[in-house]
Amino acid sequence: MSEQIVIVGFGPVAARLVDELLPAVRSGMVALTVVGDEAEAAYNRVLVADLGVGRTTAEALALSDAAALAADGVDVRLGVRVRRVDRARQQVLLSNGAAAHYDRLVFATGSRPVIPNLTGINPDPTSPVLPAGVTALRDLRDAEALRRAVDGGKRVVVLGGGVLGLETALAAAEEGATVTVVHNGPHPLGRNIDRGGGAVLAASLRRCGVRVAGNARSTGVEHNAPDGGFSALLLDDGSAIDGDLLVISCGVRPRTELAEGCGLSTSAGILVDHKLRAHHEPHIFAIGDCAEVRCPDPDCTRCRSAKGPSGLVGPGWRQAEWLAEYLGRLASAVQEDADLLPELPAEQAGVIVLKARGMNMAVAGDNSAEPWDEDVLAAGAVNGRPRLQIAQWADPEHGRYVKMTTRGGVLEGLVAVGMPRTAAELVGLFERGAELPADRSLLLRLDGPDQLPGSGPASPEGTVCRCAGVSGATIQGAVEDGCATVAEVSKVTRAGTGCGGCHEDIKGLIEKHFQAVSAA
Amino acid sequence: MTKSADTHCPYCALQCAMTLTSSQDLAPAPEPGPDPVPAPMAAKPPAARQSAVNSPVPEVPLTVQGRDFPTNRGGLCRKGWTSPTLLNHAGRITEPLLKGGDGVHRPISWEQALDLAASAVRDARARYGADAVGVFGGGGLTNEKAYMLGKFARLALGTSRIDYNGRFCMSSAAAAGMRAFGVDRGLPFPLEALDTASTILMLGSNVAETMPPFVQHLKGTRDAGGLIVVDPRRSATAAFTADGGGIHLQPLPGTDLALLLGISHVVIHEKLVDTAYLQERTSGYSAVARSVNSFWPERVQSLTGVPADLIRETARRLAAGARQGGSYILTGRGAEQHVDGTDTATAAINLSLLLGLPGSARSGYGTLTGQGNGQGGREHGQKADQLPGYRKITDPAARAHVAGVWGVPEELIPGPGLPAVQLLKSLGKPDGVRCLFVHASNIAVASPDASAVIEGLRSLDFLMVCDFFMSETAAEADLILPVLQWAEEEGTLTNLEGRVLRRRRALAPPPGARSELWIMARLAEALDAPSTYSEDPETVFQELRRASAGGLADYSGIDYAMLDRGEAAYWPYPAGSTGTPRLFRDSFAHADGKAVMVPVAPRRRRTPAADPDPAAQAMTLITGRLLEHYQSGAQTRRVTELLASQPEAKLQIHPAAAASLGITEGAFVSVANERGEVVCRAELSNAIRPETVFLPFHFPELESANRLTEAATDPISGMPEFKFNNVWVRPVTVPRSTNVLQTTEAS
Repeated sequence: MSEQIVIVGFGPVAARLVDELLPAVRSGMVALTVVGDEAEAAYNRVLVADLGVGRTTAEALALSDAAALAADGVDVRLGVRVRRVDRARQQVLLSNGAAAHYDRLVFATGSRPVIPNLTGINPDPTSPVLPAGVTALRDLRDAEALRRAVDGGKRVVVLGGGVLGLETALAAAEEGATVTVVHNGPHPLGRNIDRGGGAVLAASLRRCGVRVAGNARSTGVEHNAPDGGFSALLLDDGSAIDGDLLVISCGVRPRTELAEGCGLSTSAGILVDHKLRAHHEPHIFAIGDCAEVRCPDPDCTRCRSAKGPSGLVGPGWRQAEWLAEYLGRLASAVQEDADLLPELPAEQAGVIVLKARGMNMAVAGDNSAEPWDEDVLAAGAVNGRPRLQIAQWADPEHGRYVKMTTRGGVLEGLVAVGMPRTAAELVGLFERGAELPADRSLLLRLDGPDQLPGSGPASPEGTVCRCAGVSGATIQGAVEDGCATVAEVSKVTRAGTGCGGCHEDIKGLIEKHFQAVSAA
Repeated sequence: MTKSADTHCPYCALQCAMTLTSSQDLAPAPEPGPDPVPAPMAAKPPAARQSAVNSPVPEVPLTVQGRDFPTNRGGLCRKGWTSPTLLNHAGRITEPLLKGGDGVHRPISWEQALDLAASAVRDARARYGADAVGVFGGGGLTNEKAYMLGKFARLALGTSRIDYNGRFCMSSAAAAGMRAFGVDRGLPFPLEALDTASTILMLGSNVAETMPPFVQHLKGTRDAGGLIVVDPRRSATAAFTADGGGIHLQPLPGTDLALLLGISHVVIHEKLVDTAYLQERTSGYSAVARSVNSFWPERVQSLTGVPADLIRETARRLAAGARQGGSYILTGRGAEQHVDGTDTATAAINLSLLLGLPGSARSGYGTLTGQGNGQGGREHGQKADQLPGYRKITDPAARAHVAGVWGVPEELIPGPGLPAVQLLKSLGKPDGVRCLFVHASNIAVASPDASAVIEGLRSLDFLMVCDFFMSETAAEADLILPVLQWAEEEGTLTNLEGRVLRRRRALAPPPGARSELWIMARLAEALDAPSTYSEDPETVFQELRRASAGGLADYSGIDYAMLDRGEAAYWPYPAGSTGTPRLFRDSFAHADGKAVMVPVAPRRRRTPAADPDPAAQAMTLITGRLLEHYQSGAQTRRVTELLASQPEAKLQIHPAAAASLGITEGAFVSVANERGEVVCRAELSNAIRPETVFLPFHFPELESANRLTEAATDPISGMPEFKFNNVWVRPVTVPRSTNVLQTTEAS
């Protein structure tokens, strides 16, 4: 009999799990139910801001096709919430009154936006009712609200200096809205970036037409728009930032209440072990934003340094791929076979790459140490562990900044602003844990024009015609022996007889010879 | 009397037109037999052969001149210019050679040689069954020989075990083309079409070195600033993008697929798709759109190392080009020779379909075929799963048609065999191949995990190799049969455009050499094979025409006379038609006329194992070709001028990586992994990414790059993983001979 798997939630991570389980569904090994509370099948939430500024279409955001999945035999329930999980009976109870049995249950409930406690906004954290003109930019309807503001060239206030807030601000500004980013702390991105990088980042944002209000503490919203909607964000210094739409971008919080309601252990997220199993519950798993990998073993070294859910989709997708393999093995055969599957490697610290046109920024890891903080750099350098090293380059005038924090040549943190190729390389090196070249400036030069091969004067020994392998000296010799045209040189030396790309160079050598002759 | 022949270059698929002029009067073709039995004295010891090598180089019997033709426009590269020096090279094999118990090859008569080969086949068949006899062909064989080899294997040997070295070249692109378009012709348009293109995206192809005269067709696009080259190295081709020629995208090795998905993502999300085209001419769009959704540029930047803005720029240029002078997407082996090569080529095709390129008047997708007859060689039945005319061997109608042409009952044609890598893995194994015939291929150098292949060759009961030089594979053979070179034979080849060309004879072969057609005819006779085996190329071509009629690669309307008149014959060319210079103008080759879009995604890759040697550094090895050499180098390493220019393999390594390992220019390095080790000199270059190293694969033995490549294969095409291998690099000090060729020949 086929194994009944139920997935709670139908976001991008659940969609990947469904895709990976499809072969097992088609073969009849697995019966799969997926329950999503939105009316649409999974779509790419990462691009909701792009949709909000009109850079893409709702259709293009789709990650799953409910009809195609149903045709493959997947039981897709849209617009339905799971009300309760009955672990004793191994079934989920749905908001429409239906129930579904499970052999394995997977939580992929994701996260919800953090709504700050502001006067004028309902403070209930689990079901905030946002007033007109206020959006958290999480789903397709939120995108629609932003779209109207951007199309109307309205004033958009973005509350929060996180990467999603900055992306929204940059995209909206470029598409014609007047945008202000309001954040606390001296620069956007908070502790993800260092002071120098943050300063260059803020300057770059301003250069892209985004107003940046730093060190701001917001206290409430004002609803004085004609339709009773949002009109201004109030700050604790008594000032107000006027706008037509407030986009709240203050981070996300895992959706754990359903798991808590059925007695599973949670911390920031639903606690799972290295096999993504809920603690002490072999039938239940959690992946993606709602899951926190921290095993019950208090002595586990991997878990000692574990952080909560990253809020990034990449780790969730890797969990989905791994779990599909694991569940497939559980469904197909013996427990031992499943146990043989190597555990998912621990995730590295997340990399933040700003999705924006015309502005490039990547940060990862810990960038707090400064080159001259002797104590900080030496801290932890015990038992032969190398000390931290910082290499840094700042050109705020041109919006460029790079900082590489390494230990033993391997990146522990990176900041790159305004340096696209450097950023791409550093991110790759960070993710691979690869050693940097000893000459760190090599990485800075990737964005320089000197990386392109020059077309400077070739030495006489150098090859002029690559196709036939003929040197400048050979051609000169032929010219001295009487060849006066490219065709004649070609006949004698074969230079220029392949792709013909060197005809100009041969001509140059002929002219040079005759100039020298006439000058003599 | 001076005699000249208009023919084409012996090397790559560009098949540059050339005129060969001979001072020698053309002797009549050698009489098929009987042969003079060599006197016992003629069995020369190797020392005698060695002295021949050292004797003065004889006069080259031919002069070569580039000939004006739409593909090469009179141009030739160094390889073509120097090709005649091989015709009477001192190392040429001109008599059948049998390996004695002492391991030395000694001449025997043709009669003895054919008897031996036939009895080896009979022995293997009697002891292990017909599939114990295997045939390994090559993409350098003429259409006539490739066709006959497939027929010979299936009818005369009765084996299903035939495949060829094209499996290592074109199989991924071929599988992707078949899947998407229903037909695989490398370039479905004449090469000249590129001349006026606004944008060309080239992935994993270094034409500036591999087919230099091709570069002429990139000039217009370079002048327009629209050449986009994807290569982990700043290759000679990638360097064309400098000075306003275009863009060089330098991804991490093995990430072309992700890069293509990223470009496709931008095309879809920025609404650059050709909606009407997708609707009318394709199926499968929405699944592909969903599948690329998760590859937004910044994520792809993290996967590939290519900046997000360049990914966007590429997408926009392709879309803009399609509306102007045309956009072309071309793939080469760099993108295709992977375990996900078929999917990578599919991603390139999907991108081209999103933009509405294939089948349009001025745009398209193509793959650049590598070997001289890499196109024709994959159409007429030397592939494990195919019959002539690009027919599927599993298709009952195809089998019935071919059986009809051959005049045999259909059940006499065996079913599908094993693709090359599996075939080579089976050598000497129980239920594997025990007796192998190798034609036009140097598998001891050119195959992945070459050391394992050599072991396989040594475990055979009988190995017969047809070659004109003592290649590294021939050196392993029990029996070597000397065959003709290009200037000594008639036939046809099909170039990278799907255009059928005539190869013409310019001089008489050495008296002891024979055409493979002659050899197959004699062996078929000795084996009492059903059907007929002509040794006359034109007669074989007539039969090929009938066998291909109605197939995808239909040659039935092409004949020698028409080719001799200089007519441009592009297949499909059914009798009564005028051929097909541009495919897909009205429809694709699937039943509904639509191109099929198939969603693809990168598969997870292994991470390198920990290395025991702390002095070594984990790096990624990519392999490729040099301008001076061709494939396994069996020919070009014997051309003095070419060998002098590139005498040995050099490991290209970035100066920063070299510095951290203490490697200096010209110093010896070891490149190793669990499969083997290469020791060669280092060449420092900032044209390569710091975590990547490059080795050319033209060299044998200790310099053989394919000792390191993995025999893991693409699940669809059977293509091995040539372009992404984990290696450990460290400096070494070794006393060694620097002239590998001499060592080889002396051994």
